Amino acid sequence: MILLEIENKIVETTLKSRLNSQKPDAVDQTVADYDGVVFHISNPGRDKSKIMVSISIRSYAQLQQHGVDEHLATIYGNYLTTPEEGYDVSLLFDLENLSSDKDILIRNASLLKRNCVACVFEKYFDLQKQYEDQGVQSKDFAIINYREDETLYIQAQKDRVVVIFSTLFKDENDIIIGKVFMQEFKEGRRGRQEAPQVLFSHRDPPLELRGTSARIGDNVAYISFVLFPRHTNPKNRQNTINVIHTFRNYLHYHIKCSKAYLHSRMRARTEDFLKVLNRAKPEKVSEKKTISGKTFVRR
Amino acid sequence: MCLQNFSSQVIERHNKPEVEVGSSKELLLTPIIISRNEKERVLIESSINSIRVSIAVKQADEIEKILCHKFMRFMMLRAENFIILRRTPMQDYDISFLITNFHTEMMLKHKLVDFVIHFMEDIDKEISEMKLAVNARARICAEEFLKTF
Amino acid sequence: MPEVYHTVSSSVVCCAFNSDRSQLALCPNNEEVHIYVKKGASWSLSKVLKEHTEIINGIDWASESDKIVTCSSDRNAYVWKREGNDWKPTLVLLRMNRAATCVKWSPDENKFAVGCGAKLVSICYFEKENDWWVSKHIKKQINSTVLSVDWHPNNILLATGSCDFKCRIFSAYIKEIESKPSPTSWGSKMNFGACMHEFSNSGGGWVHSVSFSFDGKKVAWVGHDSSISVVDSERDNILLTVKSTYLPFASCTWISSNSIVSVGHDCVPYLFSIDGAGNLTFRDALDKKEKKQSENVFSALNKFRDLDRLGSTKSDRSNTSLNSIHQNAIKGVAIARGTKKDCAVFSTFGMDGKIIDWDLKSLEQSIAGLKIA
Repeated sequence: MILLEIENKIVETTLKSRLNSQKPDAVDQTVADYDGVVFHISNPGRDKSKIMVSISIRSYAQLQQHGVDEHLATIYGNYLTTPEEGYDVSLLFDLENLSSDKDILIRNASLLKRNCVACVFEKYFDLQKQYEDQGVQSKDFAIINYREDETLYIQAQKDRVVVIFSTLFKDENDIIIGKVFMQEFKEGRRGRQEAPQVLFSHRDPPLELRGTSARIGDNVAYISFVLFPRHTNPKNRQNTINVIHTFRNYLHYHIKCSKAYLHSRMRARTEDFLKVLNRAKPEKVSEKKTISGKTFVRR
Repeated sequence: MCLQNFSSQVIERHNKPEVEVGSSKELLLTPIIISRNEKERVLIESSINSIRVSIAVKQADEIEKILCHKFMRFMMLRAENFIILRRTPMQDYDISFLITNFHTEMMLKHKLVDFVIHFMEDIDKEISEMKLAVNARARICAEEFLKTF
Repeated sequence: MPEVYHTVSSSVVCCAFNSDRSQLALCPNNEEVHIYVKKGASWSLSKVLKEHTEIINGIDWASESDKIVTCSSDRNAYVWKREGNDWKPTLVLLRMNRAATCVKWSPDENKFAVGCGAKLVSICYFEKENDWWVSKHIKKQINSTVLSVDWHPNNILLATGSCDFKCRIFSAYIKEIESKPSPTSWGSKMNFGACMHEFSNSGGGWVHSVSFSFDGKKVAWVGHDSSISVVDSERDNILLTVKSTYLPFASCTWISSNSIVSVGHDCVPYLFSIDGAGNLTFRDALDKKEKKQSENVFSALNKFRDLDRLGSTKSDRSNTSLNSIHQNAIKGVAIARGTKKDCAVFSTFGMDGKIIDWDLKSLEQSIAGLKIA
């Protein structure tokens, strides 16, 4: 599994089992996802025929500024309902009254998180088109604090959209391994014309973010993706959003994997060394007497 | 590595590695440093009942540095298995072995020498291999990610 | 050829035989003394003497009076006297506060010397009135732990080797029990504790072992710098030194009036001698490092166990063992048959737990050109 899935597997399977069965069971599940996202699947009012899927996203207030509510309405339409307490968005499915294709419904529900975040991208992709047509541009950013201390910046320019992730490394070794990875991202574009340009800067925010409140520090890194119209056009747009919004998790996931791999490698090597050291120990020949008084030598 | 049992002549009824205690000058031999360059060197300090071998491993860049550091830490946490490993390295070195007369009594001397040499040969190899592994993984990840655009 | 006399499972730190070599006392690297008795061709453990609390560093067996003296890191020495089948210990008041490192009976067996980490040598003798062993200290000029002692045949002079790289000759004349000694080649004024001579081969080696020649006119010592040195008192205390390329020596003894055997970390005894011109030279290694035939006991069990434990399939046992008879450092050498003038057999013991007898006659025959004079 090199690439991460964009949908939430648990939400998907839970819904599948409920929506497809004749006699649905009661459900009450709380599911965590990346970036502190929490899903809650339940039967409102203990009514087994109704299933509610709620999501809580820490940056929802910021997303709202970018029209997340309207965006979701276009996707989920009537299924949207008043958010459950403690959550930001809620979908309500009435099992006795399901309209269209269940599979699409389930898929869309499991993509709830992705769709929430996607609105910002969509908005700015549209803005870029607008700027391109009108020949003007504004300097404002969309700022999404998708995690504590970690921020997503999106800026639309005349000919491009710049997406900047700021990410925080808790462990200083992660920084160094992260650097190696990001170096590869930077160079990975060679021979791959369709990929966006990737830039990364460590400690200081990139030029675009000068003058903002972007963090500076040894454990902070900024990764910028420069998306061109070929990425943001309506045809490729969805795919781009799918990929890019998982970037931060993707990077950290693989840093962790690398560390785990190194660890297992070190363990193996250490055992190897121990074996070599064991060679230094002379053979111990212990003698034991059997009952009859004979000696047998255990080798 | 020619060692013998030697009770402390400074503290009553103690038997400590003289190379660590260092309180009686006449019991220590002149330390030897063998170095290929500034970064890679071995320090051998010997005394009447113990010998300390400290190794500084090549660390060309940041990643080698952390790999080395992690690896050494990993092993030193397991020092009780590695009976001859010192729990903390000497200053300016990455890893130290402390071999006492009890070890030479228990183990074959020439095999201990073999071990230290094997260790030094392998540690460089291992670190560069680990570095390559990280790089390779990073490259594959980046390519896979960018491929999806 | 050398004969493996006896093997124990742990290192032999020190060992001593009784006069007819039918019994053997050794320390198996702990605080016990094991007494072995020869039965036919094999040895059986007859007694374990437990009185010390720490590792025993020195054992000596008085051949005439049949007493054993032991000394240990616990700062004590005991004299063991045979009573029927048992050994009865008597504590010796060493009055020292560091580990006792070595012990040796004087030739007349009326006193013994104990070297110690407190930078002194204790000379102990028996006081009849009080029925115990009392000690006198020699402290002069010793700057570090005393590693070895050896008595001059006149029962008065004592040679010491210590960690301050020096070999010294002291007078251990105890006027309470002895008549005034006659002058020797090392000097004539012999008050107790007087340092008659101090020698250094100007090297940096701890003196691990000292040995007087049979007539007491020469003294030899070996150091940690792999050197062997001889001082001849009849030739104006001329210092003869050979620095060998072998690993450091741990022990040495004269085997004829001109030849010395020294043993050590190289696991092989080496022969040195003073040639006709009066120079000290290296003669030969007494254990030719021949490639031993490794007994090929190849079993699947062994193979897989080695694979697991050692991480290698090459079950090269020949590689694990050294080519010498001793498999670890030799700790000591002593005359087994004969005297320092005309030794016929000498024995060595080592960290590998082996006690080995070396017959000089057969060694002469097996090693071409070797003549021990």
